[in-house]
Amino acid sequence: MKKSIVILCLALVLMTPLFAQGSKDEGLQIGCAIYKFDDTFMTSVRNAISAASTGKAKIDIVDSENSQAKQNEKVDMFITKGVNSLAINPVDRTAAGVIIDKAKKANIPVVFLNKEPLPEDLAKWDRVYYVGARAEESGTMSGQIIADYWKANPSADRNGDGILQYIMLKGEPGHQDAELRTEFSIKVLTDSGIKIEKLAEDTAMWDRPKAQDKMSSFIAAYGDRIEAVFANNDDMALGAIEALKAAGYFKGGKFLPVVGVDATAPALQALEEGTLLGTVLNDAKNQGQATFNLAYDLAQGKVPTDASIGYKITNGKYVWVPYQKVTKDNYKQFK
Amino acid sequence: MYSLEMNHVSKVFPGVKALDDVTLKVRPRTVHALMGENGAGKSTLMKCLFGLYTMDEGEILFQGGKVSIPDSASALKLGISMIHQELHPIPHRTVMENIWLGRFPRVGGTWSPIVDHKEMYRRTESLLADLKLNLNPKDLLRDLSASKAQSVEIAKAVSYDAKIIIMDEPSSSLTENEVEHLFSIINDLKGRGVSIVYISHKMEEILKISDEVTIMRDGKSVGTWPASELTTDLIIKKMVGRDLSHRFPPKENTPGEELLRVAGFTSPHAKSFKDVSFTLKKGEILGIGGLVGAQRTEVMEAIFGLRVHSAGKLYIHGKEVFVNSAFEAKKHGMALLTEERRATGIFPVLSVMENLLIANMKSYQKKSRLLDNRRMVDDTKRSIKLLNVKTPNSKTLIKSLSGGNQQKVLFARWLLTLPEILILDEPTRGIDVGAKYEIYMIMMELAKQGKGVVMISSEMPELIGMTDRIVVMSEGRVAGIVDSQETSQEDIMRLATKFIQ
Amino acid sequence: MLFDLSKKKIQNFIMQKAIFLVLLMLVVVIAIINPKILRLVVLRDILMQSSTKVIMALGMMFVILTGGVDLGGGRLVGMAAVISASMLQTPDYLRRFFPDLPQLPLFVPIVMAVVVGILIGVLNGTIVAKFKVPAFIATLGSMLIIYGVNSIYFNMPPNNSQPIGGLRPDFTFLGSGSIGFVPVIVIFAALVSIAVWFVLNKTVFGKNVYAVGGNAEAATVSGVNITHTLMGLFAVCGGLIALSGVLEAARTGGATNNYGNGYELDAIASCVVGGVSTTGGVGSVPGVIAGVVIFSFINYGLTFVGVNPYWQSIIKGMIIVAAVSFDIRKYVQKK
Repeated sequence: MKKSIVILCLALVLMTPLFAQGSKDEGLQIGCAIYKFDDTFMTSVRNAISAASTGKAKIDIVDSENSQAKQNEKVDMFITKGVNSLAINPVDRTAAGVIIDKAKKANIPVVFLNKEPLPEDLAKWDRVYYVGARAEESGTMSGQIIADYWKANPSADRNGDGILQYIMLKGEPGHQDAELRTEFSIKVLTDSGIKIEKLAEDTAMWDRPKAQDKMSSFIAAYGDRIEAVFANNDDMALGAIEALKAAGYFKGGKFLPVVGVDATAPALQALEEGTLLGTVLNDAKNQGQATFNLAYDLAQGKVPTDASIGYKITNGKYVWVPYQKVTKDNYKQFK
Repeated sequence: MYSLEMNHVSKVFPGVKALDDVTLKVRPRTVHALMGENGAGKSTLMKCLFGLYTMDEGEILFQGGKVSIPDSASALKLGISMIHQELHPIPHRTVMENIWLGRFPRVGGTWSPIVDHKEMYRRTESLLADLKLNLNPKDLLRDLSASKAQSVEIAKAVSYDAKIIIMDEPSSSLTENEVEHLFSIINDLKGRGVSIVYISHKMEEILKISDEVTIMRDGKSVGTWPASELTTDLIIKKMVGRDLSHRFPPKENTPGEELLRVAGFTSPHAKSFKDVSFTLKKGEILGIGGLVGAQRTEVMEAIFGLRVHSAGKLYIHGKEVFVNSAFEAKKHGMALLTEERRATGIFPVLSVMENLLIANMKSYQKKSRLLDNRRMVDDTKRSIKLLNVKTPNSKTLIKSLSGGNQQKVLFARWLLTLPEILILDEPTRGIDVGAKYEIYMIMMELAKQGKGVVMISSEMPELIGMTDRIVVMSEGRVAGIVDSQETSQEDIMRLATKFIQ
Repeated sequence: MLFDLSKKKIQNFIMQKAIFLVLLMLVVVIAIINPKILRLVVLRDILMQSSTKVIMALGMMFVILTGGVDLGGGRLVGMAAVISASMLQTPDYLRRFFPDLPQLPLFVPIVMAVVVGILIGVLNGTIVAKFKVPAFIATLGSMLIIYGVNSIYFNMPPNNSQPIGGLRPDFTFLGSGSIGFVPVIVIFAALVSIAVWFVLNKTVFGKNVYAVGGNAEAATVSGVNITHTLMGLFAVCGGLIALSGVLEAARTGGATNNYGNGYELDAIASCVVGGVSTTGGVGSVPGVIAGVVIFSFINYGLTFVGVNPYWQSIIKGMIIVAAVSFDIRKYVQKK
C-alpha cells in the first residue's frame, strides 16, 4: 500500500511539467474549443490557430469530444478561468445561442468558427464574430470540376445516353457540410444544363474504409453504368478510388471521375497519380489565421477592422474564407 | 500417526470468528466425518486445507511434515483433492475436460502446449470404468442430470490419486443407489490407502460410512469420537450443544374459527391440481403432505395468486376474495415463503436489513415520501432479536449468512407485513437441526397468536410432529385430510400414493 | 413418437443453425430484389470486407469467452493502422510521416504494430486479473488512452494530423492484392482462423480460456492459473486486433487516427450474433466467422439494393436482437 502511494506521488511529480504550461499566468489568454479532435480538417485549423498564436497570446485548445454538453462545460471552465476571448467551433450550430449568452454575461467576446451559428443568435451581441467558409461553395466547386470534365470529354458519357449517372458518398447524415456539399455539387450540374441520374446515395460517415466497402458494393450493383463519383470529403473519395482500383479502374486507360473535398496530402498524391479528378481546398490555414487574428484583437478589447485582422469582415460579423478548386493543373502549389 | 493434522487453526472474517483454535486429525485409511450445524465452520476449515482461504493461525501437517498451502494448485500437488459442495461444473465442456482441467495430458511431454485428446479420452474411460460410473467422456456437462454431474466431480476428485480426499456434501444430488455406489468407491479408496474427510448432514450416512467423527460448533471443535460410539441423538446433542430429545416444541396452540377456505381449486393444465378443497383455522398449523410431484407447491402458488386457476373459490373469514397477484394476496393478509430460498427468496447482495424490509417498504414512507430510517433500523433490530438471527449486524449481506439464518430473515420479512395466513413451502429444507428447532418455535408462536399457518413438507416426522391436521395430496388431488394426532407415517404414505396408477 | 422425435430434431436443427438460416434468408430476399448479387465477384468482395473484421472479432472472442469485452479494440485498430502506415510509405511520397526513414523490411513495422497490440493486451489483462477491474471498465480506460496516445503520434510534425497516404505497394498488396482469384487478405483471415481454432480446441491455453469463462471458480480449484490465462487471452486479443488494424491500413491504402472508431461494437455484435455467449464459456470460430460474414453481407447487400442508411441501421439492430434471442432460447429451453 505504502509503495503504491510513493509511486503515485512520484508519478505526479513527474507529470507536473505537463500541467505547468496551463498554470502560467501572463499576457492574453484565449480559450478555444474544437468540436472534436479527430476531425482531420479541424485538426489543421487548430494547428493553424496555435501556429498563429506563437509569441502573441496563450491559447488553450480543448476537445469537445463531439458533445455539445461537454463543450458547454469547457466554455464554463474558460469563463471561470477568466480568458480574454473565446474561439468556439460548435458541435451543434444551434447551441451557439447559449454560449453567446454565457459569454455576454461575462463580457468575453466570442469568435465562432467553421459551423455557422444562426443569424439571430449572432445578432444577440456585437462582440460575436464568425469565421468560416460557405459550405455550399465547396459543393459548387466539386460539381464544377465534374461539369468541366463532362463537357471536355465526350467519352465520359460511357453509355452514350447524354445523361450523367453518378454515385454520391455522403458524410454524416444531418451534418451541415454533408448536406450542403451534396445539394450544391448536384445543383451546379443541373444549373449548367447537364442531365443527371442518381444511381445511389449512401453515407460513409466521412470514413475511408466505409467508403471503400460501400463503393465495392455499388460497383457490383451498377458496374459500367457509373459515370462519376462525388464524395463529401477526400477520405471517402480515396476509399472509393481504392474500390475502383480493385475493380480494374485506373489501369489501361479505364478512368472514372472522382471528386472529393479537403485537399489532404493523400488526395494531392492521388491527383498526381491521376486517380482523383479533383478536390476542393477548405483553407484551414487561413481559417485558423483569421480566427486567431479576430480573437486576438477582441482579447485586447479592440474593435477588429479589415485592416487589423487582414481579412474582409462582411456585415460586421462574418469573415468568409474562400474555398479553392484543386486539380491536376494547380495541385503543386498546395503541397 | 496421522496422515493429516490441522492444529489450532483460526480464521477471522470481518465481524465473525469463523474458526477458533480448531484441531482435526485424520488417520490413514479412514473415513473421517466432519459434522456441525450450518455455519459451524466445516466448509471454512476445508477451504483452508484446500488453499482457498488463508488461515490466520495454526499449522497443517501432511504425512507428518509441515506444509503451507497458498492455493488449490499446491493442495492438489501435495495430494489433497476435494469434492466441492457448491461448485457448478463448466457447463459447455465435456466430461473429460471437466475431469482433467488443470492437468490435461499433452502431446509430447509436460511443456508442450498441445492437448492430447486421445490420451485424455483413454484415461477418462479407464477412470470411469474403474469407478463403475456409466458416463460418456464426450458428453457436455450441461446435458447431464445433477446426480451425473456430481458423479463427474467424484471421478475428478478420485483421479488426482490423492492421499486425502475432502468430500463436502458429495451425496446431496445423488439417488439412494448412487449413494451406495459412492460408498463402495469410498471403501475401495480406503483400501488403496486414501483417507477421506466426509462432510454431510445426513446422520444415517455418517454413521454408516465413517470411522471417526469430529464435531464442530460455532467455529470450535467439540471433539473427535469413533463412529461406533455415536448415535444420531448423541451427534445432534453435541452439534447443538443441548439435548434435543424433543425434536419439536410442545403443542400449545388451539385452533379456533375458520380463517381460510379453499373450494374446488383446479388448474387449467390437465396434469396439475384438480378440485382441491380444504380449510384453515385460526391458530392452526395445517400440513400439506404428499410425494414430490403431487402439485402441492402449485396449489399454494395458485392460492397466493402466482399461478392461474380455471375453477375454484377462495374465502377469508367466510367472505369470498379474488386474488390474482402476490400484491393482492399480501393485501388480504397472506404471506408465502417459497421453497427455493436462493432463487426466489433472498436478494443475495442486499443487506439483512434490506432483505427484511423489502416486502414492507411502503409502510416506512413518511409523508414526504422519504423512508423513515429510524423506524426501519428499529424494526430490523427487533426482528433480528425476536427470531434470533445470527448475523454480525444488520448491514451484513444476507448471502454471507447460513441457510437457517437466511430462512429466519425471510420469516421476519413476512412477519413484518403482519399476515394472518402464512404459507410455508418446505421451511426447514437444507437447514441444520438447531435452526430447524428455532423455526418450529417461531411457527408455534405464530399459531399461538392466532395466525393460520400452512406448511408444505416432505419430512413425515415434521408433518406429524408440528401440525394439527394434514392435507395429503396425490397426483394433484386431495387424497385425504387426517388428524395429526391420530395418523401415522404409513397412513400418510398410503394416501399419498392413492391416485398413482 | 417417431414423429415427435423428428419434429424435435428439426426444431433443434433450426435452433442450432439459426444464424445460417438468417444469412440464407437475407441472401434470398436480396437476390429477389437484385439477382446480380449472386455472383462470384460479390462473394469475393464480401470475403475481402470480412477479412479484417474476422481477425478482429476472433481476437474479441477470447475476451468475450471470459465474459468481458474489449472496448479499446476499435481504437487499437486505429493505432496499429497508423503505426504500420507511418513507417511503410513510398520513399518519394511528398508528405512522409518520417521524411528520412529508410526503406524498412515489410515485416518490421507490422511486427512492431502487433507487438504494441500485444503489450496493450497484457496491460489490460493485468488490470483485469490482478486488480480485479471488470474488463468493461479496464478497456474503457484503455480505449481513451490508446486514442490519446495515437493522436499525439499522429499529430507529430511534420505530419500534423494529415491522413497518412502513399503506402508502399508491397504493403498494400497484403490488403488488396490477389494470388490468382484469391485475395491475399482472405488468405490471412483464413490462416488466422485456423490458428485460432487450433489454439482454442487443441491447446491447454485454449481449454483454460473456456474453463475460466465457463466457471472461474471451478478453474481455480482445479489449479488453473487464472491470472496467466487472462493475461494471455488479452494479449492474443490485442495482437489479433492490431493485426487487423495493420491489414485495414493495407486494404484501404491509408490511415488516420480515426480508423477503427466503433469497430469494437461491430466485433462484439458479430461475436454475439455468431453464438458467443456474453456470459462466457461458449463460442466457436465458425460461429464468429458466420457472424462477421452476416454483418458484411448485410452492409453490402443493403447498400447493393440501395436501402436508405437509416433503415440499414434499424435492420442491423433488429438482426442483432433477433439472433441473440434465438441463441439464448437454445439454452433456456434446456431447463
